[in-house]
Amino acid sequence: MNRTTGHQKAVAAADSAYVLNLRNIAKRFGATQALEDVSLALRAGEVHALLGENGAGKSTLIKVMTGVHQPDRGEILLAGEPIAIGSAAEAQRHGIAAIYQEPLLFPDLNVAENIFICHQNRGAITDWRGMVREAERILASLGVSLDVRSPARGLTLAAQQSVEIAKAISLNVRVLIMDEPTASLSAHEVANLFRLVRDLRAKGVAILFVSHRMEEVFQIADTVTVFRDGRHISTRPVREVTPQSAIADMVGREMGLLERRTPAPHGEKLLSVQNLARAGVFEGVTFDVRRGEVLGFAGLIGAGRTDIGLALFGIEPATGGSIRLSDSERTIRSPRQAMALGIAYVSEDRRQLGLSLPMSISANITLPVLSRYLNRLGLIRTGQERATAEQFRKRLAIRTPSVDLAAGKLSGGNQQKVMLSKWLNTHPTLLILDEPTRGIDVGAKAEVHAMIGELAAEGIGIILISSDLPEVLAMSDRVLVMREGRQMAIFDRAEADSETVMFAAMGQTTQPAITGAAA
Amino acid sequence: MRWLQRNIRPEQIRELSLLLLIVVAVLFFGSLIDGYYTSRTFNRIAASVAIITVVAVGQTLVVLTRSIDLSVGSIAGCTAYFAGSMAAAHHDLPPLAVVLIAVALGAVMGAINGVLVAWGRVPSIIVTLGSLAIYRGILIDYSGAKTVTTDSLPAWIVDLPRLTFVTIGNLDIRAMFALAVAIVVLFQIGTSFLNVGRQFYAMGSNPDAAHLIGLPTRRIVFSAFLLSGALSGLAGFMFLARFGNITVEAARGLELQVVAAVVVGGVNIFGGSGTVFGAMLGAIMIGTLEQSLFRLQISEFWRDAILGLLILLAVASDAVILDRLRALWARTDLKLVTRAEAEP
Amino acid sequence: MTLPPILRRWETLLLVLLVAIGAVNIAWSPFYLGVGNIVNLFQLSIEKIIVALTMTLIIVNGEIDLSVASVMGLSACVAAYLFHAGIALPWALLASLAAGAAAGAFNGFWVAYVGLPSLAVTLAGLIGYRGIARILVEDRAYGGFPDWFNALGQQPWIGPVTVSIVVFLVMFAGVAVVLHGSALGRLVYVMGNNVQAARYSGVRVKRVKLLLFTASGTVAALAGLLYAARLGSVRGDMAVGFELDIITIVLLGGVSIFGGSGNLVGVGLSILLILNLRNGMGLANITGNTQTSVIGALLVLSVLVPNMAQTLHTKWKGRET
Repeated sequence: MNRTTGHQKAVAAADSAYVLNLRNIAKRFGATQALEDVSLALRAGEVHALLGENGAGKSTLIKVMTGVHQPDRGEILLAGEPIAIGSAAEAQRHGIAAIYQEPLLFPDLNVAENIFICHQNRGAITDWRGMVREAERILASLGVSLDVRSPARGLTLAAQQSVEIAKAISLNVRVLIMDEPTASLSAHEVANLFRLVRDLRAKGVAILFVSHRMEEVFQIADTVTVFRDGRHISTRPVREVTPQSAIADMVGREMGLLERRTPAPHGEKLLSVQNLARAGVFEGVTFDVRRGEVLGFAGLIGAGRTDIGLALFGIEPATGGSIRLSDSERTIRSPRQAMALGIAYVSEDRRQLGLSLPMSISANITLPVLSRYLNRLGLIRTGQERATAEQFRKRLAIRTPSVDLAAGKLSGGNQQKVMLSKWLNTHPTLLILDEPTRGIDVGAKAEVHAMIGELAAEGIGIILISSDLPEVLAMSDRVLVMREGRQMAIFDRAEADSETVMFAAMGQTTQPAITGAAA
Repeated sequence: MRWLQRNIRPEQIRELSLLLLIVVAVLFFGSLIDGYYTSRTFNRIAASVAIITVVAVGQTLVVLTRSIDLSVGSIAGCTAYFAGSMAAAHHDLPPLAVVLIAVALGAVMGAINGVLVAWGRVPSIIVTLGSLAIYRGILIDYSGAKTVTTDSLPAWIVDLPRLTFVTIGNLDIRAMFALAVAIVVLFQIGTSFLNVGRQFYAMGSNPDAAHLIGLPTRRIVFSAFLLSGALSGLAGFMFLARFGNITVEAARGLELQVVAAVVVGGVNIFGGSGTVFGAMLGAIMIGTLEQSLFRLQISEFWRDAILGLLILLAVASDAVILDRLRALWARTDLKLVTRAEAEP
Repeated sequence: MTLPPILRRWETLLLVLLVAIGAVNIAWSPFYLGVGNIVNLFQLSIEKIIVALTMTLIIVNGEIDLSVASVMGLSACVAAYLFHAGIALPWALLASLAAGAAAGAFNGFWVAYVGLPSLAVTLAGLIGYRGIARILVEDRAYGGFPDWFNALGQQPWIGPVTVSIVVFLVMFAGVAVVLHGSALGRLVYVMGNNVQAARYSGVRVKRVKLLLFTASGTVAALAGLLYAARLGSVRGDMAVGFELDIITIVLLGGVSIFGGSGNLVGVGLSILLILNLRNGMGLANITGNTQTSVIGALLVLSVLVPNMAQTLHTKWKGRET
């Protein structure tokens, strides 16, 4: 260690206004420079938003801060003192904790134990009583009431997030990193979460908030930093930032906000659903979709939107009501049946339910209709497979060196395009898109939106399930709103604005928590 | 119902019903076999249960962390033979030293498994499938296919199985059974009330989270295998005491009985849930069946078929019934949450 | 099929090892290259390597079948039992194949339609099917089969090649085509990688799993009959513990225990490697148990070495930058 000079002391004093100061961090994985000379400083009692497209280096930086990765260069100062974060445990000792998009709970342990499991100084003996008491106290202070003795298995995502926050509070964190904590939450739950974040901020915690949802950033952040391609682009107080300028920094070019799609002409009635129900999940769902129409499904998480999709696709068949396709009554009991009727369902979870990640792009695209690619001996004609994949690669601008590449090696946006290709290749007449733009970057999102427009123009009927309200409003011809398994309303394009939709989605008693407009 | 749900978890219902099943089995065999309710029957069952239980405790720890240890039979065979030949060669060796030799040898073998799984990142099923063959092979080479005989052993080992720890009414509780129960109690307390014990559950429940929040995941897995090895070593010593004659085939196939006991006892094969106590119940269930069918003579060959069916039933009931119960419990929890959210 | 480079290198490694062992064997024993020895080398483990082929499908599919050796024993016992009860041997053999198929289908039902873990279900099968075999034959040994049956297992058929070896070669080609060329093979891989994604793509996953387990049971039954033919007699403890050798062959061939990766070239090389290793050690008078230890060590090393190499590789890279 060098002896500190007077100049360095002065710098250190200035830095001590910051709780955590990362300076000139660089990190390389193989051929990719994930972070290049990046600096970021977090102040106590401040919510600092970090924006960037996928691959901009946000996740890597978080992993450096939580001790999962070691930086190749650069230094980390905690309250002015240089520290090394060698492991997740060390990060915790320094008072740095992270909450991820998918909560990291132990399903078999109860809520109280989940909150305290990572406490390193809790001695040798498990103090069950003390843990329960303390857990109840912390959750009460958050305004959350949970049975702390029940196992974490079966908690809703929102409840799991609350447990994660309680965990962070119990650790007396100085720095809390939130990595897309709202990606799977409904607007109401987001509002609750933000209340907790503001409380933490008032207690002097430095918060790093990573999100893809622009309007949330403007609601909650004090400072906004943008990364692009592993470099630091800008850090400004939130009042000096506009959505347009932030997006421009992220993508490196000016880009408009979501524009309303020009509706395509509607054809004959494709699907007509009467009083559709699945016992204990949803009931009384009635709507129809015409050719060329985009019907948006809005509502909170768990309102039953995805479940309707799953029922129409035969994964979890409906238990009541009727489904009419092209004017003949159908029961759909399996995905095969649904596919035969021209229905395709693009799942909300690319990695778990959508793609076989180690398989090639072409194998993924042909999977649902593999029988079309067999020769007389029942063997797969790989040449024909590849030709199909090449067509879609051009049509959807999938960025990949080859269609033989494993799907898992693609970025999120490109994986989403492979999913779309896979289902377009079944030549559907009704396409159900479940959260088609979740977790993908701004550029890919715009491309997916353009694709939806094209498909509608070709005469495909589309059901668009999305938690991104501005997206639903911009893309849909009509919006169906679900709440707790019931259909609340269907709005025409002209009536549907963010407030009416949210009002319906939250029921009569609650005021809308978020208005979609950020600009 | 609410009271029930707050105070009893589905897993405990699972253990209670197994206990009930054991009682039913005992009543059933009692009605078929004359003189079934004697201390001789009890001791027979207890002697076979004791060995399986001790190994099953270690196996439970391993299975809780989402691994499996198939080498326990080979470890017990090795330690039985090695401790036996040591005791036969040195009759003046104090009893504790012989036990410690067995436990230490078992611990070393378990540690090798543990290092390969935790630091070598080799799946446990591969490591222990390999070490099952390797340890047995070492035993056969080392022994030169010779046998430890009862005659060559010091008297205290030969007499050990009949050593009574305590007499309750006309039931003699043998020292070896008492030892097994003591180990179960020790580890049950350890896994419920020690933070290091809870880490086994955390590790198996969500390995990724365990790593990310900074639990010493490798050390947890390693210690599970270490303890499984050490307990198999102890079981090896008990095997030596019980049978006296130890061939190179000693304790072959023990791993199947032990895994069966753990699964029947309600320990989730994918880690994270189950208890040491449950594993003991599983061992008792299997031991009761085995010894009672043996007494029925005609049905000796039915033992394995019934055991296979029992495992299947245990796993199926876990999957079907336990999931229903959990869903019922979770729904109540969910109501609490939604109410909480509606309040502010 | 796209395979990560490390797997591509895995087959190379197997090949290098195989050549090395072959070279040592040639140097060691003048009998090694004789036709008689090569036939014998296959013949001694023929039943295991036949079952290893269907086991490859099962493990690539992300499951495991621990019950195969018990099904082998069961099928032999069923045939012997029925034959001695006075039923014509061809019918007894058919019934025993049907019993194997039923045992496999029973496993498959619980795994595919009830959703139980195959490790537990087939562990129950391992114990239970052996139990049924023992109920049938108790502690007797059945022999006295017609000559034509015994000839199936022992007598040369095409040149010096026996029926069992022909069965193996035909099945190897068949499984290779199915796994790497057919739609079923594609589904086996997809389900091994991510069974949910397969289901959401309209793949009838339950049916595929049931089919695979039934195939595994049937092939195990066939192997059990060939084993009985080779030994000329049937006992309740026939083929006990074979499942370990069979699984070892598959895993050593580079098939991931977690499913979704591996190929039949690797398994073929692994079969040759293990047979030659055993044969070489046999020629060098090393006992069967030591052979098993060496193969056990090879199994562990086969996963450990690539892991270590990768760790070192990452560390090395880290130092460079």
